[in-house]
Amino acid sequence: MKKAAGSHRPSRMRSKNRSGFSSDQTSDTAFRSTSISFFRIFIQCMFCIGTLVVGFRFTREAHFLRASFHHPEDSFSRRTGARMGSLVSIGNRSDLDLRIQEEIANDSEAFRLENSETIIRSRVRVDVGRHAILIRPWPHPDPFEVIQAHHLIARVQMEQWQLYGSKESKPIIAITTTFVRSFQAVHLTGLLHTLSLVPVHVTWIVMEAGGVTNETAYFLSKARVHRLLHLGFGDAMPAGLKERGQLEAHMRVEGLRYVREEKMEGIVVFADESNLHSLEFFTEAQKVDWVGAVSIGLLGFAGFEEPAQSRIADVHQEEVGAGRRDNLFARPTFEPQVQGPSCDSKGNLVGWHIFDPLPLEEEVYTGIMLAQNRRLEWPNFVLNARAVWKTEGNQPEWIKSWDEWVTPKDGSAPDIKAILRDDKQVKVLGDCGRKVLLWWLRAEARADSRHPANWVLDENLEIIVPAKSTPWPDRPVRVPSPPPPPAAATVGTGSKRGAGSRVSGGKGRRSKRRQSRPNIS
Amino acid sequence: MELAKVGSLVDCCIGIVVVEEIMGGFWKLRSNNSWRKNVSFLMSVGLLLLFLCQLSLATVHHQRISGSAGDVLEDNPIGRLKVFVYELPGRYNKKWLKRDPRCLTHMFAAEEFVHDFLLKSPVRTLDPEEADWFYTPVYTTCDLTPNGLPLPFKSPRVMRSAISYISMYWPFWNRTEGGDHFFVVPHDFGACFHYQEENAIERGILPVLKRATLVQTFGQNHHVCLKEGSIVIPPYAPPEKMQSRFIPPSTPRSIFVYFRGLFYDIGNDPEGGYYARGARAAVWENFKDNPLFDISTQHTSTYYEDMQRAIFCLCPLGWAPWSPRLVEGVIFGCIPVIIADDIVLPFADAIPWEKIGVFVPEKEVHNLDKILSLISLEQVLEKQKLLANPAIKQAMLFSQPTLPGDAFHQILNGLARKLPHDPHIYLKPGQRVLNWSEGHKKDLKPW
Repeated sequence: MKKAAGSHRPSRMRSKNRSGFSSDQTSDTAFRSTSISFFRIFIQCMFCIGTLVVGFRFTREAHFLRASFHHPEDSFSRRTGARMGSLVSIGNRSDLDLRIQEEIANDSEAFRLENSETIIRSRVRVDVGRHAILIRPWPHPDPFEVIQAHHLIARVQMEQWQLYGSKESKPIIAITTTFVRSFQAVHLTGLLHTLSLVPVHVTWIVMEAGGVTNETAYFLSKARVHRLLHLGFGDAMPAGLKERGQLEAHMRVEGLRYVREEKMEGIVVFADESNLHSLEFFTEAQKVDWVGAVSIGLLGFAGFEEPAQSRIADVHQEEVGAGRRDNLFARPTFEPQVQGPSCDSKGNLVGWHIFDPLPLEEEVYTGIMLAQNRRLEWPNFVLNARAVWKTEGNQPEWIKSWDEWVTPKDGSAPDIKAILRDDKQVKVLGDCGRKVLLWWLRAEARADSRHPANWVLDENLEIIVPAKSTPWPDRPVRVPSPPPPPAAATVGTGSKRGAGSRVSGGKGRRSKRRQSRPNIS
Repeated sequence: MELAKVGSLVDCCIGIVVVEEIMGGFWKLRSNNSWRKNVSFLMSVGLLLLFLCQLSLATVHHQRISGSAGDVLEDNPIGRLKVFVYELPGRYNKKWLKRDPRCLTHMFAAEEFVHDFLLKSPVRTLDPEEADWFYTPVYTTCDLTPNGLPLPFKSPRVMRSAISYISMYWPFWNRTEGGDHFFVVPHDFGACFHYQEENAIERGILPVLKRATLVQTFGQNHHVCLKEGSIVIPPYAPPEKMQSRFIPPSTPRSIFVYFRGLFYDIGNDPEGGYYARGARAAVWENFKDNPLFDISTQHTSTYYEDMQRAIFCLCPLGWAPWSPRLVEGVIFGCIPVIIADDIVLPFADAIPWEKIGVFVPEKEVHNLDKILSLISLEQVLEKQKLLANPAIKQAMLFSQPTLPGDAFHQILNGLARKLPHDPHIYLKPGQRVLNWSEGHKKDLKPW
C-alpha cells in the first residue's frame, strides 16, 4: 500500500511538475487540460443518459421478472383439497334433486334434436335450450366461509384506508354530556358505535349530570375507544329545556377544563349523544387548524306536529290565495333545516345560518326547542385542543384566553362561539358548509316516562299467555247465552282469566273442561 | 409511474458514481485521495442497496396492464394506419338517427359514435388509395321498437344494400371482397342479426360479411356468430353519467357481492331455464337469503354509488353473454364476477381479463359463495390494483370528446395490429368469392 502510495506520489508530483514547469507552455497545457475536462464531461453526460435508459429498462425488466414468477394461482383448488370430499358429496346430492329438473331438460331433447344439425355445424360448446336451474339442497352459508368473507372485507377496507385514507391522524377528543333517562340507551348506543368506528385514537370524555351512575357505566363499558373518561357533574339535570341547555354548556366547559389541565392533544369535538355523526365528519375534523365550523342538520322538527302545520298552511294560503286551497293537505315545504356556517362563492365565511323554527305549543314535548336567543350550538364547532391550553402565548390572537370566554359577564351560560374574536378565521368544513356531516335528532321521551334500568328486565312480564300459535281465537267466540248453573260456577272461579271471551275458543285443557261441563249439566 | 421515475433517477446516480469510479481509475484523477474513493465507494454501495430496496416497494396504487399482445393498452394508433370512410347517402345512417335519436343513448350507440370519431380523427384519409382499412357507416341497430329495443329484421337487407352501393361506386370492395373493410355490428349476436340465440345460430353470420372484419360486442368461443379476427368492444355506456357519480375512494367497501337486475324474464321465459341458461335463476334461488349477497331486482337510484361500495359485482349472462355491468364494474373498481361460459371479453388481447376478473363456470354457480370467499386476499388486492389503473377505465369508455386510450383508440389499435394485410385477400380482377344469393330468402330482398 505504502509503496503504491509512494509510487503514486511521484507520478502526481511529476504531473504537478509538468503543469508547474510548463509556465511558458501554459497555454498549451491549459488548452490540453480544458480539452481533456470537456471531453471527460461529455463522456460523463453520455454515460449518464445511457444509464438513465438502461436503468429504466433494467428496473422494468426486474419488475417483470418478479411479477412473472409470482403466479397468482387460484388458491381455491389448493385450499379446498381437504374439503373437496364434501363438495363432491354436495354435488351428488344435488344430482338427486336435479333429477326432477332433468325431466324438464329432457323435454327439450326433442327441441334440441331439431336443431342438432345446426348444433353440429356450429360446434357450439354451450348448448342452446332449456337448462336446469342448479339449486344445492342446503343453500345456507357455511360459517367458515362467512368468516373468511368478513376477514376479506376487513382487510380490503384496511388497504383502502392505507391507500386513500386521510394521511393526518390527529387524535379526537369527544366531549359528551349525558344523564340517566329513557332515551339515554337510544342515543348513547348510537354514539358508542360511531366513536368505536372512528379510525383514529378517540378520547371520550363523558360528563354525567347528577354524578357517575352504574347505568351509564354499563353502556360505556361496551365502547371500544382509546381512552374513556367518565366524569360526574354535581347538579342533576333540570327538567326544563332552557335550563337543560344551560347546564349542558357548563358541563362542556368542565370537560374542556379537563382537557386544559391534562394538556391533551388532538381535535375537540362536541359529540352530543343525541347527534348522529357520519364518519366523514371525523375525517373532515382532521383539517382543523384552530377552530372549525360544520353544518348540522336538524331532525325531528316539531313543525310536523299539527299546530305548526296548520300555521304553515295558513301562511301559504295568504301568499297564494284561493288557488292553493287544494294543497292544504299536501306536504308543506320547509326551508332546509340546517344550521351552520355560510360561505360566498369564493369560499369565504360570510355569516351563520341559524334555523329559526316556528314557535311550539308548550304542551307538545316533542323536541328540544332551539334557543330563542338564536345562538349556534356547541356541536357546530370543532376545536384544536391547544386552543384551551394554559400556554396563552401559543394561540393566535383571534382566540380569546380561557378566562375571558368561559365565564360570561352577564351570568348566562357559556357559549363556544365566544371563544372567537374574529369570525373570519374559522375554517369551514364539509365543502364550505354545504355538506351536512352530522344531524341533531331532537327526540326525547317524557320526563316522567318509566323504563327499566338499562332496558333489562329482572323478571318476566306479568301477563302470561299459554304457548300456542295464536293466543287469540281463530273464529268468533260464541258465548253460551244462559248463565251457567251454580255447579259450573266453581269451574268458572277456578280459571282466573277474567273476561270469558278471552279464554274460550282456545285448545287448552281448562277451556275444554269448561265447555264440556255445560253439556253434562 | 412515479416508481419508474424514482428508479431511473437512482439508476442514473449509480451510473454517475460507477462512471466516476471508472474514470477516476482510468484517467488517474488529479485528486486521488483514498478517502474520496472510499466515500464514493460507500455511496455506490448505498445506492445499490436503495436500488434493491425499491424493487420490493409494494405501496403502489395501481399496476401496469399487459395482455397477451403485450403492453398495448396505451399505444397510439395515429400514424400506424389509415382509414377511409365511405360517404353513404343519408338513408343508411343519418335518416335512421333522425327518425329515432334514442340510438345515441342505448347500449348499441357505439356504431354512431365510431362513425363520428372516424370522421374527425387524424387516421382518416380522404385518399382511398393509401388507406389500409375502409369503414362503411351503416347503422343497422337503429330500428327501435317503442320500448327502445332494436329490431334486427331489416338489418341484413340494409347491410346488403349498403355493400352493393359501395361495390357499385368504389372499386375497393371488389378488390378484396371486403378483406380490408370493417363494419361495426354491436347488436346482441353481432352479424347474425337476431336477438334469439337459436335463430341467430341458424342464420349464421351474413354471408356477404364473410371476409370482412367485424367490430362487435358479442364474443363467445366456438360460436357461429363470432368470426375469427373480430374485435370485441364493450357495450356503450354514457361516460358522463358514470363519471359524475364517483364517491371518495376512501369510502370503505362493505358489500361483499352486489347485483341488480332480472333473475327471471317473466315475459319471455316464465318457467325459467332459458333466460341466462338458468344461471341467474340459480344465483337467486341459492343466495337470496345469504347476507353477504346484496342481490335484488329492485331498481335503486344509488346503483353506481353502491357499486363503489362493493368488492365483487356479478356480471352474469342474460339473453346474450355480454353485459354492460362489466363496464360499470371496471369504472367503479368492483371486481367483476363473470358467469358466462366461453365468453370473449372486450379487447381480450390488450387486457388480461383472467387477472382482473373472476370467472365462474355456469355449472358451479350454486357454489358461488364458496368460490368467492376462498379467493385469497393477495389476489383480491392484486385485482383491485389492476382495476385502479386509469388506463383500463379509459379503455372501456367511448369518451366524448375522445381521449387517448379510450375505446375508439383501442379499436384502432386492434385494427392496426392486424396490419399488414395478408396478400391473399387481394383478388385477381374479375375473381368472385362471395355468393350474393346465399342466405335467407327474406334477406335477399333489396332495401
